[in-house]
Amino acid sequence: MAAVTLVALAGGALLALSTVASAKVEQDFRDFQRGRRLAPMMEETTAEYDGRFAFMRLRYGAADLRQMRREPPWAHDFPRAEFHFMKILSELTFTRTWVDQGNIRSLDDPAMAMFPVAYMSEPGFWTLNAAEADGLRGYLQKGGFIIFDDFRENHRDNLVSQMRRVLPDARWVVLDVTHPIFHSFFEIDSLDVEGYYGPTEWTGIFEDNDPTRRLLAVANYNHDLGEMWEFSDTGYMPVDLSNEAYKFGVNYVIYAMTH
Amino acid sequence: MFDALFRFFFELSPVVFSQGEFRFAAATGSYVAAVAVLVAGALALAAYRSGRGRVRDRVVLATIRIALLAIILVCLFRPLLVVKAAVAQQNFLGVLLDDSRSMQIADHNGQPRSAFITEQFGAPDAALLKALSDRFTVRTFRFSSAPSRTTRQGELTFGGSQTRLGAALSGVRQELAGLPVAGLVMVTDGADTADATLGDALLGLKAEGLPVFTVGVGQEQLSKDIQVGRITTPKTALKGTTLMVDVVLSQSGFDGQPVTLDVEDEGTLVSTQQVTLPDAGTPASVPVRFTVNEAGPRVLRFRVSPQPGELVTENNAREALIDVRDRQEKVLYFEGEPRFEMKFIGRAIKDDSNLILAVLQRTADNKYLRIGVDNADELAAGFPKTREELFAYRGLILGSIEAGAFTGDQLRMIAEFVDRRGGGLLTLGGPRAFAEGGYAGTAVADVLPVVLDRTRIQAKDTVARLTVKPTRAGSATAVTQLAANEAASAARWNTLPGITAVNRIDAVKPGATVLLTGTDEARVERPMLAFQRYGRGKAFAFLPQDSWIWQMHASIPVEDMTHEHYWRQLLRWVVDDVPDQVEPSLTTERVEPGEAATLVANVVDPSFVELNDAVVLATITGPDGAISDFSMSWDGEHAGQYTVSVPTKAPGWYEAKLEATRAGKTIGTTVTHFRAAPGEAEFFDATMHAATLRRIAEDTGGRYYEAANIATLADDLRYTGRGVTSVEEHDLWHMPIVLMLLVGLLCAEWGYRRVVGLA
Repeated sequence: MAAVTLVALAGGALLALSTVASAKVEQDFRDFQRGRRLAPMMEETTAEYDGRFAFMRLRYGAADLRQMRREPPWAHDFPRAEFHFMKILSELTFTRTWVDQGNIRSLDDPAMAMFPVAYMSEPGFWTLNAAEADGLRGYLQKGGFIIFDDFRENHRDNLVSQMRRVLPDARWVVLDVTHPIFHSFFEIDSLDVEGYYGPTEWTGIFEDNDPTRRLLAVANYNHDLGEMWEFSDTGYMPVDLSNEAYKFGVNYVIYAMTH
Repeated sequence: MFDALFRFFFELSPVVFSQGEFRFAAATGSYVAAVAVLVAGALALAAYRSGRGRVRDRVVLATIRIALLAIILVCLFRPLLVVKAAVAQQNFLGVLLDDSRSMQIADHNGQPRSAFITEQFGAPDAALLKALSDRFTVRTFRFSSAPSRTTRQGELTFGGSQTRLGAALSGVRQELAGLPVAGLVMVTDGADTADATLGDALLGLKAEGLPVFTVGVGQEQLSKDIQVGRITTPKTALKGTTLMVDVVLSQSGFDGQPVTLDVEDEGTLVSTQQVTLPDAGTPASVPVRFTVNEAGPRVLRFRVSPQPGELVTENNAREALIDVRDRQEKVLYFEGEPRFEMKFIGRAIKDDSNLILAVLQRTADNKYLRIGVDNADELAAGFPKTREELFAYRGLILGSIEAGAFTGDQLRMIAEFVDRRGGGLLTLGGPRAFAEGGYAGTAVADVLPVVLDRTRIQAKDTVARLTVKPTRAGSATAVTQLAANEAASAARWNTLPGITAVNRIDAVKPGATVLLTGTDEARVERPMLAFQRYGRGKAFAFLPQDSWIWQMHASIPVEDMTHEHYWRQLLRWVVDDVPDQVEPSLTTERVEPGEAATLVANVVDPSFVELNDAVVLATITGPDGAISDFSMSWDGEHAGQYTVSVPTKAPGWYEAKLEATRAGKTIGTTVTHFRAAPGEAEFFDATMHAATLRRIAEDTGGRYYEAANIATLADDLRYTGRGVTSVEEHDLWHMPIVLMLLVGLLCAEWGYRRVVGLA
């Protein structure tokens, strides 16, 4: 019953967001139809650590957004996806959050340690050097958690390949609906979700490859939660899909903060 | 020396004067002579009044003359000292000889203290024994823990592992009751090892008027000695716990010398460190750290290697018993908002098999996540609503959860969890904690070691960025020990990354101890970890909101165990010594083989209310495997307290399993251990305790003698006034001091006259 109420709340929050941002709907939709926005339109934000939870998007490849002609894959859905998501997270849960500030960090950035939940978009294009591999390895082994989102088809090969450089012994495991990550806040009863690119497969890496221990990473194969978050206030996406995407996102964060 | 001088001047022993009664035995002639003396005095005064010379000279000379005549006058009235003297062989004398191990210490003229006893009492014609036997019927007793009659020197083994002066005196007093006893002689070093005070024994002697003449054997200070003094260890500890124990070292003759202090766990070295000995007479406390990794009753031995020339080496080591428990202690952690602190605390103790964290995580309004619970029912209704439910936990952590989340009764329950149940409470910093969380003025605020002031709270959405370091008191606790030794630990604290706090605490309670402090960007120091005992339990306040940074920060290597170590030690402390429903205690962890051990059990119901109608059974398993049952009974004085005396036979470990039932239902079961073994207490503080012996003598009307000064003892004993006595009259007029005074005054008069020209 509580979960139903909270989903309703999520819907209400989305509606609020939709109302506030209605003026931008048209433009956003045009952007969406035209393809990804150009890189110079984006600006990095910084949430200085003060004990609150801040969204951290991981950057890879080219460093300077403004020098890129087109949006880099790691920046897909930035910044509206995270800001929408953080708004929902703060509305639904008691998590103290930065709502309108976030962080973009490279994998070898020491400041990454202050934000133990990380989000990576389009890992199919992910490249990393040795320092970044070391940085992510230490981050995960010490207690960090990473969400891989927005990838499909052979993109998974790249994710697996790159993660092998980070954690050579790690094995990706298909997650079962009984796993606590699907019950940490919302009760997700089924993983039979038609994702953005097709049927979604929810996979993860466990600490020491032991399913009884915590998850270090979760990957939404064939899905794009960020896309759902980004356009949840536009009316472009069905509300149900956005709601489901928020439920997974909220559960990921609550799980990462408690396990 | 004093006695010899006294006897030279007064002819008699000081004892005779102290016991005797002063009288005059004037005859008729004395009065006639007195008149003559008075006339002579009057004439002298008249002559000096009108004589020649200066007034001052005449006054001096008159005074001398009058004094001379006064002495003669006193002597003419025949002063007497009337004293009751024991009739030879008509009285008994109890002689108590110390048969304990400390008498083996060789500080009596280079000989063992026992040599004095052998020399003075070893044969019927031995000096002191003969002198006493000539005057009294001597009853000789040897004593260590209790007195027993001895008739032969060979019975003295000097192997007793205790010295109980009070018990020995009371025992002999009762043994000789009804006999004409002149007094008691106690030959000992006075090193009493009994827990009880001497007061009761001395009261009995005083009431009976039985004087004790004490003879102290040995030196009041050993020339060269190192002693491991008091050690305070917990009676129980959880397996794997690191303990910080203060070892008190004292010495004489080894000022500033470096020595090695080792700790052995049943023969296995678990700690070793170099220590510089303090100056003589100033005991120094040395913090020692070690980890108890083996479960069961463990004897920890703290030892300083014997040094050349030490008179006593047995006191270089001291043992302590710790019952190391290998069990799971359950801690309830109530966290009011999703945050990383809870996750990382859980991770820190995840691999600690002795700590179980049951987490009630509030994620949204009236929405909870339960982690680490045993069954579907545990915490299903949120935070416990009954004492039984809450008191089932041994520790309680309150995270960032506001006081308003609890009912008034739940807040009182939390306070009682500490006060009555004896649990450990740890409150963590967070925006909903402490005064910021509305706890000021609540029952929980009374328990906390910090002062909550609702008018002085931290501004919303502001954080203090702090570097944390242990205080001096904190450095002496295991929780702040982050590395292998103290120096490395201090260095580790200096390199730890900063953390943040959102609670303002300016003061701690008077009985609280600050263990960690934080210095903020304005260089203001504030408490970060404070502790206090409250009622039966203890309460901690940990102010930072994100100690997880000590785990995640980029400067922290993956393999670093700082965060894990800190939290494991802190939570072990939280649950340390938290009582069970059936909680055993022992008056002493060790008894002498053959002695009885007193077992005590406190029995309470699930809400920790004392029970006086329980059936408590102690099942004792001896070192030989023999099992025997003892029924424990309520002592009738303390609520919920049951006792039983368990006799021991063979030396070794005894396991006591205590089970309490009520109306056929088991309340609780617990296991404790004690051992029967000879103690080493005889060699601690084993100098000759003259003050104790003086006190015994003075309180009972006897006298204290040093071993080298016993010549008058036998004679002095005659004048105790007890037993079968005859009255002796000692004329005092012919004491040498009288003659000396007379001659002295005459010489003084003559000399004065010569000086002033009146001769």
